[in-house]
Parts: sequence; structure tokens; C-alpha cells
Amino acid sequence: MEPQTELDCSPLVRFAALDDLLALGRANSLWPLTFGLACCAIEMMAAGASRFDLSRFGAEVFRASPRQADVMIVAGTINKKMAAAVKTLYDQMPEPKWVIAMGNCAISGGPFVFPGQYAVVEGVDKLFPVDVFVPGCPPRPEALIEGILELEKKITGRRRWPVVKPQ
Amino acid sequence: MMPQTERSAADGPQETFVLNLGPQHPATHGVLRVKLTMDGEYITRAEPVPGYIHRMHEKMGENRTWAQFLPNTSRIDYLSAMTYTHAYVAAVERAARIEVPLRAEYIRVITSELNRLSSHLVWFGAFLLDLGGFTPLLYAFDDREKILDLLEGLTGSRLTYCYYRIGGVCNDVDEAFVQGTRDFVAQMRPRFGMYRDLVTDNVILRKRLEGIGPISAELCRRYGATGPVIRGAGVPYDVRKVEPYSVYGQFDFEIPVFPEGDCMARYRVRMEEMAQSLRIIEQAIDRLPAGPVMAPSVPRVLKPPPGDCCFAVEAARGRFAVRIVSDGKEIPYRVKLRTPSFSNLSLFEEASRGMLLPDALALMGSLDLVIPDIDR
Amino acid sequence: MMLSLPQLAEAFGQLLRNGATRPEGQAPEHPGSPGAANLAAPATACRLTDYALKGYHLDVTVSPGEVVSAASLLDGEGFALDAITGLDWMADGQMEVVYDYFHPRNALRVVVRTRLPRAEPVVPTISTVFPGANWHEREAHDFFGIRFLGHPDLTPLLLPEDADYHPLRKDFALS
Repeated sequence: MEPQTELDCSPLVRFAALDDLLALGRANSLWPLTFGLACCAIEMMAAGASRFDLSRFGAEVFRASPRQADVMIVAGTINKKMAAAVKTLYDQMPEPKWVIAMGNCAISGGPFVFPGQYAVVEGVDKLFPVDVFVPGCPPRPEALIEGILELEKKITGRRRWPVVKPQ
Repeated sequence: MMPQTERSAADGPQETFVLNLGPQHPATHGVLRVKLTMDGEYITRAEPVPGYIHRMHEKMGENRTWAQFLPNTSRIDYLSAMTYTHAYVAAVERAARIEVPLRAEYIRVITSELNRLSSHLVWFGAFLLDLGGFTPLLYAFDDREKILDLLEGLTGSRLTYCYYRIGGVCNDVDEAFVQGTRDFVAQMRPRFGMYRDLVTDNVILRKRLEGIGPISAELCRRYGATGPVIRGAGVPYDVRKVEPYSVYGQFDFEIPVFPEGDCMARYRVRMEEMAQSLRIIEQAIDRLPAGPVMAPSVPRVLKPPPGDCCFAVEAARGRFAVRIVSDGKEIPYRVKLRTPSFSNLSLFEEASRGMLLPDALALMGSLDLVIPDIDR
Repeated sequence: MMLSLPQLAEAFGQLLRNGATRPEGQAPEHPGSPGAANLAAPATACRLTDYALKGYHLDVTVSPGEVVSAASLLDGEGFALDAITGLDWMADGQMEVVYDYFHPRNALRVVVRTRLPRAEPVVPTISTVFPGANWHEREAHDFFGIRFLGHPDLTPLLLPEDADYHPLRKDFALS
């Protein structure tokens, strides 16, 4: 019998597709860590509430424990006093893990950057790598959802939900 | 790790242990750390450690102009941002002797009360979430979205508004806002009946809150606690009535006061306050006078005369006061922010002694803390 | 037993006359002016102010040693502590500590001030009178370096535990 080529391998041994399948599963059931620090946390809660409904994208199960979370949505300002705790939480998350920096404070320190500032870490990417940046002060819940969809695209390689163009 | 001894944990004297609550914890409503010394499930000492979201607001008050500080005011307590901005602009107006047009004062009252409603709705949802009920959060946020639609149409922002200006408000309300507010008031009033049936009369909530976390009026006074905390202890202290500001003196509303001093009393105060806010909004919208929304000649570079000046408002969490010190320059010399959550939390250590941990969390939720309000 | 505003002013006057061995002076009208407190002979004074202009009714200036008796007087009258804050008058070489008080049952607002030498800002704690002062004084210490004698735990509250800087001083710069 001829050895089977890649094109017509049995579905049970298509490892490349298994990665795709896992990526699809992970992307559509991201479990965020409840990590609201400041104002952006309220918009994150609004995104999870009924009008904007993060649950449609599989991400409504906010876990309080980092051991059970996939994605850390850093929503708010990182303070130098808090930085060690944030890093500990990131380290506690099991792989694969992702980080969404939500809001200007998490991206670059936000409105709290001024010459001589002593308390704010200017961006969470100074502590650990960030996958998606969602700008805004605070970003609208739709912007956070777009950030989640960008993350899904990063994980699976394809954007599953179409971009809604304004009329 | 030390090997376990032969005897079981039930023999011998009990030891206390230290449990760290936070800074990341779903029930602390932000980044607050509480060092709990526990004797089993009972708290022997609860020491809050704030500072994890200290964002240097008072320092920023000293290196930007009076008007440039306005965006900061919304971010101190982002849930009742309008009231905080109100205190700051009113303090500067008091110092610089700027008179605000009547229409702007009415608009300030309407937007502040809408903001108070949306803040109490967030408190309501989050408090119930702490106690274990997820559904009220969804209902509360749904009602809150209607308020946010109104305020977004007016100001452009959903949460951290920068709508008031020194001398008035940024832009006038339009007919859509007026009609939308009237529709909202008509639609919101019956919802309180639903909240009462779903939540307030719920036997589990009653058992969780009645008699829990007693805070007396004297305890409030010794720590400077204000807002629903002191009104839930039987003291009718509300800055809108005691030190009336803006045009609150022209409206007919009550200050809900409950004497029991437990979590249920504070809960009831806030639920009643929402109804009273609707009353104020209704009256203000009906009587909205015509006129300009900005004082006629506010200097572009504002330099209040040297000296200090205070202004206090009743924010959603309690008494918020701003003390500004000017040395005649366009940059403030000092902006001191007296925030309600700071004083309200400072009594937690004394009030939570000997409580069960879940009851202490109910107490903390009933204080309605916003942590950036503490840390500023 | 709640005193009216003029009675309260009189009570403060009594307190300051009884405690002070120095002649009474006028509190400075404008901060930083040449009339800023002469610490060698600190002025003690009690003024009624126009609430509509200032936001408070009574402005009391005391020497550092009298802050506790002022706090006790107000505590006895049922006042609550609003805030304690510092003010860095670097140009005068002084630090001011401002105590704001409000009354939960009436509308009275009282401000008590004292001035300290900037190089050694030390003042007694009032946390024995008002437990709420505990946190306010820790915060003032964090931001200004003011030492409150007798404070049970003057460790950083809002700054990191190992902070050794005082950010709201006018000459603060991160090294």
C-alpha cells in the first residue's frame, strides 16, 4: 500500500489540525482573571454585563484565581507598590496565557505620567509581555470586546467574527 | 516545611494565623490589601493596607493649571465622577468669586444625581456579587446603561466625564437629553419595586445583613465616616442639606436615615437614596431655567487670589471636600482631597474585630469603597 | 451641649489664653506673606470667617503644643475630623499642618492650623482624641515627612512600605 501523503492523511493523525483545534478551543473560551485595578475595571464589568455580553465570545467566566485563568486583562493603573503583586499573578498563571492591556494606564501609564512622577509603572509591558493593547480612558466595552477578538485572531490566526463597518 | 506533629489540630491551644486578603481579590472592589489575623473563621485583627493604586492626584494638582486638573477629578472616584468634579470647580469658583449661571447649576444637579444613581447601581450589583448573588448585577448594570446613554449623549464619556468647567458646564443639554431623562425617570421608578421583591425582601439577604456589622453613630464620628455609613447609624448628615450647595436648596427631597447601624440599614439608605435622586432629577428637569451655561467672563488664565478655600459635596460615598490653596499663580499651590472612602475604611479595623470573615466582607461591601478614592 | 459659633470662638479664645504665654497675634491673611508665623513667638488666634468665601466658619491658629487640647475641645463639642493635611511653605522654611473639622449634627466647620519648622516638623498626635486621625497623620507623614509624636504606628500608608521619600514637599525629586 502506498504511504499516505499529507493531503489525505486520516483525520485522527493530523497533528497540525489538532493544534488548530486546541487554538480554536482556547480562543473561544478564554477565562479572564478578575484583575480590575481602577476605572477600566468598571468598563470591563460592563462588558461582561448584559448589554455588551462578553459571554457571546466565551469569555464570561471570570476567575478570581490566576491558576484557573487564561488571560489577564490588566484594567487600570499599575502602581509601583502593586507591580510585584501583578508580576506574581502573571507568574502564577499556567501556560498558555495571554495578556490584554486595557486602557491607557496599562499601555503606557495613562494620564498619570508627568515629569517627576513617583508611583506609576508606565505600562504593564514593562513587567511582562502584552499580547493586545486596547487604548482608551476608559475604552468602551465594545473596544474591550474588539481586543478579545484581536486576541482570538492572534491565537487562531484567523478572525472568526467579522468587523462591523459603520454604515 | 516543618513535619506535622503527632497530635491533631483540635488538641491544645488554638493559634491565630495571618491571612492576606488582596490586593487582588474579587471582594475588595479594587486593589486593597487587608492583613487579617484570624482565629479560625473569626477575625481578631483586620489591618487594611491601602496604597496599591496611589495615583498621585494631589501631586498632580501642583504641576498643572487649575483647569488642567479637571480630568483628574473624575478619576479619583470614577463611579461618582460628576460630584467630584463639582467639588473641585466649585472650590475654584468660590476662591475666584466666579458666579455660575442658574441653568448650569441645574444641569450640574441633574447630572450629579444621575451619576449618584449609576454609582449606587454599581454598588448594588457588586455588593450582591460579594454576598453570592450574580443576577442583581446584571439587572443593575442594565439600568445603569440607560443612565450612561444619557450622559454619553451629553458629555461624550461613559465613565470618566470631564463635563463641568470652572464657571459652568462645557455644553448645553439638548431636547434629546431632557426627554430621555424624563423617560428614564418614568421607567426607573417601577424598577425599585422589582429590586425590592427580588433582593431586599429576599430572606437570604436579610439573614446575611440584618444585625451584621454594627457601626454606631459615635464610631462614625470618631473616624469621620460619612455618607450612607453615618446615615445608616441614625444621623441625618448629608452635605446637600447641612451645607447646601448649588441649587439643592430649591428641591424637595428627603434624607433617608435608618437607626439600626447594621449592614441592612446602610443597604436601605442607598436604595432609598436612589428613589430620592429620581425625585430631584424630576424636579430639576421640570424647572430647568433658560440661560447661558457658562459664566460670562472667566479668564483664560485663571489666577485665584492667594489664600485657601474649601468646598464640600455629598458624593455617592459620603462627604467629599476639596481644599485648595492658591498663591496667586495659575498653578495651584496645594489641592487637598478629603475623600469619603478613606475615612469610611479607617473604621474597618475597629468595626470588624471578632467578626466572621464572610460577615466582615459584607461589612466592607456595605461601606461602599472605591479604592482609588482611598489612595488618590 | 452644643455651642453656637460665637460661643465656640470664645471657648477657643479661653483655651488659647490659658495655654499661651505669648501675646495673641493676628493669623496671617495671606500665606507666604511677611506676616507668616514667627516661630520664635508663634501667634495664636481665632477668627470667624465668611463661609461663603472660605468654606469654613472658624479659623484657629495654635502653637504645635496646643493641637491636642484644640482637638479635645472640638471632640467634646461633638465635632468629627474631616482631614489632616500638610502644607509645605518652603520659602518661609515652615510646614503648616491643617486640621479640618466638621460637625455631624450642625453645619459648623472649623479649621485648626499650626506651623512647624521645616527642618524638624514635629507635632503631637491627636489620634488619642480622634482615632480617625491615625490614618490622616500617616498620610501627612508619607507626603511631607511630618512626625507625629506619640503616634502608634507611623509607617507608610499610601506609599510603599520601604518608601523614604516625601513626594509633596516642594523640593521633592526622585533621585
